[in-house]
Amino acid sequence: MSKIVILGAGISGHVAAAHLRRKLSKEHEVLVVSPNSNYQWIPSNIWVGIGRMKSDQILFPLPPLYKKKNINFKQALVTTFHPEGDAETESAFVKIKYVNGQQKGNTENVTYDYLINATGPKLAFDMTEGLNPGTNKAYSVCTYSHAEHAWHALDDLIQQMKQGKKAKILIGTGHAKSTCQGAAFEYILNVEQELRRHNVRDQAEVIWIANEYQLGDFGMDGVLLSYGDNIMKSSEMVEMIFEDRGIKWILGAGVNKIEDGIAHYETLDGEYKSETYDFAMLIPAFSGHGFKAFDKNNEDITEKLFKGFMLVDADYTPKPYEEWSVQDWPETYQNPSYNNIFAPGIAFAPPHAISKPRVSKNGTSISPAPPRTGMPSGITAKLVADNIIDIINGKKDLHHKGSLGNMGAACIASAGYGMTKGSGVSITTYPIVPDYNKYPNTQGRKLGKTFGEIGLAGHWLKFALHYAFIYKAKMKPFWWLIPE
Amino acid sequence: MTQRISKSKRFFMMNPIIQFFKFIWLSIKIMLVVAGGHGGTRKANS
Ligand SMILES: Cc1cc2nc3c(=O)[nH]c(=O)nc-3n(C[C@H](O)[C@H](O)[C@H](O)COP(=O)(O)OP(=O)(O)OC[C@H]3O[C@@H](n4cnc5c(N)ncnc54)[C@H](O)[C@@H]3O)c2cc1C
Repeated sequence: MSKIVILGAGISGHVAAAHLRRKLSKEHEVLVVSPNSNYQWIPSNIWVGIGRMKSDQILFPLPPLYKKKNINFKQALVTTFHPEGDAETESAFVKIKYVNGQQKGNTENVTYDYLINATGPKLAFDMTEGLNPGTNKAYSVCTYSHAEHAWHALDDLIQQMKQGKKAKILIGTGHAKSTCQGAAFEYILNVEQELRRHNVRDQAEVIWIANEYQLGDFGMDGVLLSYGDNIMKSSEMVEMIFEDRGIKWILGAGVNKIEDGIAHYETLDGEYKSETYDFAMLIPAFSGHGFKAFDKNNEDITEKLFKGFMLVDADYTPKPYEEWSVQDWPETYQNPSYNNIFAPGIAFAPPHAISKPRVSKNGTSISPAPPRTGMPSGITAKLVADNIIDIINGKKDLHHKGSLGNMGAACIASAGYGMTKGSGVSITTYPIVPDYNKYPNTQGRKLGKTFGEIGLAGHWLKFALHYAFIYKAKMKPFWWLIPE
Repeated sequence: MTQRISKSKRFFMMNPIIQFFKFIWLSIKIMLVVAGGHGGTRKANS
């Protein structure tokens, strides 16, 4: 009998738990440790942030589902990792701290045979002075509670605009190294459409601020894509959309301080500037959780497990941009020091960025960190689960592999909500990490599989995926037929 | 605001009947990318 412990119940943790439970016999234990007892479909937070969906439409409680499916659950935070056990405990364990109920504040050592670290990112608001969702008129949509809060503030502003107020709305990245530009891109387009719906668009100046060097970089160095009969750059496509919607932009901006209604930023030219606003939504930096690890003798071995995020089978040798290779990216998400530990989704440490790193004249690094969206998070979690099942069944090698350099991602960015007025910008990219050797003439991507589409169908698709993925997450009949 | 999307293009983007077919086309195309699978990059045959 084996015990598999999964840390985190986001997209990757939940996918891993669901597949393990479906494929492993009952004698094996699957245990999920996560501080939030709700599963949330994060991509739909955008619609919570414009008041078109309620939080309860995008979340559901995990404990009843896990009870029904025979998955054990502890509502707790992992605090430290002990992959060799310690003086008292023979087997590997993690220390957890309960965050709810009668056990709140208690700690426990949870032993495991296999550990899946799916704790995603820490939303590192503290890395930008004054950036704290709900203060200084700056908000976030990274969680459903943040998104609800953002909507209340935006709604207030819309009401004031209806009374004649002129307003400035700033949306983008809140740190020089933020990622997840895609989420901010969706939000700015949705906000812009809502302003039109409320007939206050003329009173608003809507501004995109980002650490990207060019529009449409999205932390992926931009993409060259087919759009109808044309081949265009994502920068051209986004520029076309922004100009058409009257959205202005500030690029190469490393936001470093937020004051009440003022965003201070440094540019790649080394200038220090600021932008005022009445409402802002800024994506924070994503960092590792700062976990510590200890060996059997209680010596600190954090560097064997973590480099911010968790170390896996990537090539972490520091190299200049020109020498980056698709082969640097991990394939199995297994920790090189402890082969029973894996880290899919956002929890693994990327070998380097995907976008070209850029440094301001003052030496500040201003460029996007690599994104890891929902689809690769789900795919990597499933392949980790499949490899663990193989090992339990006696296989020696890890057969299931999935490098971001050999995997596509379908990103359907909502560009406005509504069954007849909605829109979506679908950008499908293959591979996620450009492979310049395989596709030298098309900026590292395969053109037929890298394409863009704009229109109402994109909204319908995003809307359909919302229901399909919640159905899948609820593990309803034949859920596994829906791909990650 | 600078009009960058022509009226005919906008009609195409927002017409529910045209977009219904686009929806089906897009779903199939995305499924093909997903079904195309994934693998490693380090071995020639992986
Ligand atoms: C607003 C927004 C919109 C997005 N839209 C899209 C989209 O349209 N399409 C797309 O593909 N992707 C989208 N993404 C990205 C997508 O949400 C992420 O790729 C995905 O959530 C990553 O999954 P994950 O499981 O690795 O991390 P997460 O989903 O962040 O899950 C991490 C889990 O770990 C738990 N955890 C944290 N700390 C601990 C701890 N100490 N101990 C135990 N558990 C812990 C958390 O509570 C959570 O359950 C969006 C992201 C945002 C923020």
